[in-house]
Amino acid sequence: MMDIEFSHVTFYYKSNLALRDITCEIAEGTTLLVAGHNGSGKSTFLKLMNGILKPTEGEITLGGESNVNKRTSELAAKCALSFQNPDDQLFAPTVKKELHFGIGNIHADDSLIGPIATLLKLGEVMERNPYSLTYAQRRLVAIASVAVMNTPILAFDEPTAGLSIREKAYLGDLIALLRKMKKTLVVVTHDLNFLLQYADSLLLLAHGKVEYFGGRDMFFDRKDSRQILARCGITYPVYPRISAATNLKAHYFIAADVADSLKKREPAPPSAQGQHQLEGA
Amino acid sequence: MPLALSAINLEVNERECIMLNGLSGSGKSTLCLAAADFLKAFPAAVSSGKIIRHRTEQEGGTGIAMVMQNFYSQITYLRPTVFEEIAFPCENLGLPRDEIIERTDDAIARIRIGHLAGRNPLDLSGGEKQKVVLATAIAMSPDLLILDEPLSQLDPESTSHLGEILSGLKRSMSLIIAENDPYLTLKVADRVVVLSDGKILADGKLENILGPDVECEIDLPAWTRCIMELQNGDRTRDHAGTAIRYELNYKRAIETMRKI
Repeated sequence: MMDIEFSHVTFYYKSNLALRDITCEIAEGTTLLVAGHNGSGKSTFLKLMNGILKPTEGEITLGGESNVNKRTSELAAKCALSFQNPDDQLFAPTVKKELHFGIGNIHADDSLIGPIATLLKLGEVMERNPYSLTYAQRRLVAIASVAVMNTPILAFDEPTAGLSIREKAYLGDLIALLRKMKKTLVVVTHDLNFLLQYADSLLLLAHGKVEYFGGRDMFFDRKDSRQILARCGITYPVYPRISAATNLKAHYFIAADVADSLKKREPAPPSAQGQHQLEGA
Repeated sequence: MPLALSAINLEVNERECIMLNGLSGSGKSTLCLAAADFLKAFPAAVSSGKIIRHRTEQEGGTGIAMVMQNFYSQITYLRPTVFEEIAFPCENLGLPRDEIIERTDDAIARIRIGHLAGRNPLDLSGGEKQKVVLATAIAMSPDLLILDEPLSQLDPESTSHLGEILSGLKRSMSLIIAENDPYLTLKVADRVVVLSDGKILADGKLENILGPDVECEIDLPAWTRCIMELQNGDRTRDHAGTAIRYELNYKRAIETMRKI
């Protein structure tokens, strides 16, 4: 089993409190989105999970084993992390070598390189220097180099930053594949509009504290979801907002689902129309 | 050497906000670098064409400021506090001390990073660093402000706030923004320039340039996408019965969807 458990975790950077008393449990094979305002502790959460940082207080276990006394290199076979800035991560002279580097470190096989490079359309640039690629391609290389390690837990820090709609679609395909492979995914993001469709649960942070931890759909059922998001510096995600404004009964996270649901529903009685306040964009 | 830009003819007017849209690799960043005159440093890479600048003699204007896509590389880390980091370029401009402090304070207040002013830039999160670099550029009070993906690490509320700041800045400077966020485009863009394979595919107001060729190159608002999905079943028509393809207005899109 490779579930993740944070138990009363607190972390300080020197005297600056970054995370306070974080407790949460992420079930194996599920996808967690971590969101919050700038400086809320999201990236710190990921770095604690894969052992780059050690908690000031509290306990973190991966698959039942504490990671606090483990070296980061020991944890690499369990949990791979792609950084917020791809340029902090890439150093090999070719994309191919970059994709082989992490695998070599943990003595894993390279069977995922082919399929993942194809999915992210990196096949044609395998012999190129990563720094000769566009920023979006560099990010995809950084993400791929982590995904090919085939670790049970994968963590991505802002994977959609700098991607245009084309690469976002590739990334979506990769996430769908990893979910099918029952990987535990922890994704830090501001791009809830795009990534909510893949989430099982949400961790919302404000000023280093947990404002919400639990299921995605349960969150949008809550009456105070708007207030929680506001405390976390997050505007209400756009597809759930459209779902509510058009009086749909469930929350949807992609345009096709909103449209399908609208097409299927019975015409609303005139009295029901307009009961929700229209909000500005 | 791959061709990054070709046959670009682009005029940016005073106090105009141009949004560069397009897929990754379409040339947005290179066009930003060209507009900022950085390509001068690589004469061998520029085969033809030139950039003509009709300088305005605006008081206090300081030419061009740019926030790069990899903004991390723009922080000097030579100064111990965020305040001093933001003041650094103004010092280089040789401004009097009082004015440096005034401009730095003003930029910090606008970007809402007062709580970070005394922190060391090294200790900040990615999004906080992006805000510091944005504040630094704003403090310079340029005639032309160029922003390459300014939202990449900002939280959604800061994104919305930056939209308001940019709408305000438009009154005193020209802006070129490479950013695919459709909500920022709707909020601040006077013109959208869509790049595709290094060429200008479309240039104009967003509502006027949308068509099948542009639709697959840029991101569109969620409500516009919903209407497009519905249109596949031919369910959406405006009051005159004409089929709607692109509805950019949120309220009208919701009204249309409610009637289904």
